[in-house]
Amino acid sequence: MAGKEVFALQINGTRREIFAPGDATLLDVLRDDLALRAAKRGCNQGVCGACTVMVDGVPVRGCLTLAGACTGREVTTLEGFADDAAMQALQEAMILSGGVQCGFCTSGMLITARDLVAQTPVPDEPAIRSALSGNLCRCTGYVRIVEAVTDAALQLARQKDTKREAVE
Amino acid sequence: MSFVVAPQTVDEAIAFLAANPDARPMAGGASLVAMKNARLIEASHFVSLARIEALRGIGPSAAGGLRIGGMMHHRQIAECADLTGGWQMLRQAAGLIANRVVRNMGTIGGAIANADPAADYLPVLACAGAEVELVGPDGLRRLAVADYLVDWYETALEPGEIVTAIELPAGGDGPSVYRKLARTPGDYATVSVACAREGAGPDSSVRVAVGACGPAPIRDRDAEAALAGRLHDPAAIAAFCATLAEQADPIDDVRGSAAYRLKLIPRMVAAAIRDVTGDR
Amino acid sequence: MKLEGSFPVSAPRPVVWEAIRDPGLMAQCVPGCEMAEQIDDTSYRARVLVKFGPISARFNLVIEIEQEIALEEVRSRARGEEGTRASTVSSTNILTLSEPEPGTTLVAWSTDFSISGRLGKYGMGLMRKKVESLSAEFVKAFAARLEESAA
Repeated sequence: MAGKEVFALQINGTRREIFAPGDATLLDVLRDDLALRAAKRGCNQGVCGACTVMVDGVPVRGCLTLAGACTGREVTTLEGFADDAAMQALQEAMILSGGVQCGFCTSGMLITARDLVAQTPVPDEPAIRSALSGNLCRCTGYVRIVEAVTDAALQLARQKDTKREAVE
Repeated sequence: MSFVVAPQTVDEAIAFLAANPDARPMAGGASLVAMKNARLIEASHFVSLARIEALRGIGPSAAGGLRIGGMMHHRQIAECADLTGGWQMLRQAAGLIANRVVRNMGTIGGAIANADPAADYLPVLACAGAEVELVGPDGLRRLAVADYLVDWYETALEPGEIVTAIELPAGGDGPSVYRKLARTPGDYATVSVACAREGAGPDSSVRVAVGACGPAPIRDRDAEAALAGRLHDPAAIAAFCATLAEQADPIDDVRGSAAYRLKLIPRMVAAAIRDVTGDR
Repeated sequence: MKLEGSFPVSAPRPVVWEAIRDPGLMAQCVPGCEMAEQIDDTSYRARVLVKFGPISARFNLVIEIEQEIALEEVRSRARGEEGTRASTVSSTNILTLSEPEPGTTLVAWSTDFSISGRLGKYGMGLMRKKVESLSAEFVKAFAARLEESAA
């Protein structure tokens, strides 16, 4: 079909070739061509945050990123964090605190929160709220999500301390 | 249908844009791709500027001030340790744009090319006396913010031209401040004010620019001169605020009515002046 | 959205009257107007390019004269759409001419205007500013044309 082209993208550590429209967004390609559906299509305007993924280690909006601009870059979706300890801690905390209701915002929340705890080991509540301000949730009222990120961050910080002590 | 190209140099980008009149330059894409998704715009190509090394970096300018590459992300500007004193307001403004994730995407050059009248950088750059550097098929030019902004969403950018850098003159010791009133954190401003203090003695003065209240930031150098040495005089400050409010041309929109904005201007300008004088 | 305005032109009323009914001349004065032609006695066709920020919309307009009082008043209705897109504009317009002093014609206009589709993104507040700046451009060009031909 005219207007389509082949992209070679590095997704979750694997090289993938996609045949898609030249102006397809990264989100289009992830969901529709690669069946990686953790990232959600909410507003498609960059507002809701449900499509948040990592490009070269930095969280970005999948819906505002053109796939053709990602060649040679490392794309990581929530699926790519399956074995990540920090992500597992965040996921467990989200379940325990009741931070997941319909689940639509959860993938984007997790990616943003994962970046926050990587940059700021023990973020306080205002820092968490500020970091998550670009991820909209229509169910929880955010309280339990903020609790989950607080708990996970504390747990991760404790684990790090324990490891350090063990090494010393 | 359109395609993405990602040139490595400014010259390649300019040549491509010149050869493809329906191509559009794309900085971070945060606004442009949203508009594409909403089918508001079309392009034969999106010319991504993301791989052009020369558009990155923050460092000294040839004129003795500071040069910020057009492709610097809001987050990088918000975290730049060199932006202190008279430049502190730029750092604050960058940190108040949208949210953490969008600040990783959006760039100062893209924001200035888009020229949303409520965008955070514009009043800061007007206050700082910054120049916008444009490069196109006819070469390089630098314009003061007031000359760059032509009308609502209309800039001096010619087809095929891109914003390559922002140059700030030597910033002085400041202090400077950016105040933003928005409906919710990360929204565009309802009204914003950038304010920087010049000098520390009894003759000290302020530079002030008001954003989101007209096609371009409001700045009045004569009024600033009249206020010099009277920064602790409430009557002089009130007169100064009234002068700026008179020059405003705000619109009614979802972020507030024109009348509301006119009420906010004097309060926010006075508060910004107090911020830089330390008066309460 | 209702808008109105008036402006003086240094030309006698019959000259202004002829000018406003001349599609070729009007096309040269309306900002973004790429073509204008008369279809029949009371209707005209025009193509106008409106640019707003990164959006460029090209409207195909049909203007119908509903009522005309020679040398005094024209009531018209304009409708247009943007090719295959869902953007539409429509307006009802009244233009009146008076000659408060010999050789100077006062042109008063009012329009009730609506727009939907892509340009709707910017909202009515901003649209009003855009229409105001386009009308100012028109007034400048129109007055210049008439004064040039009167001279």
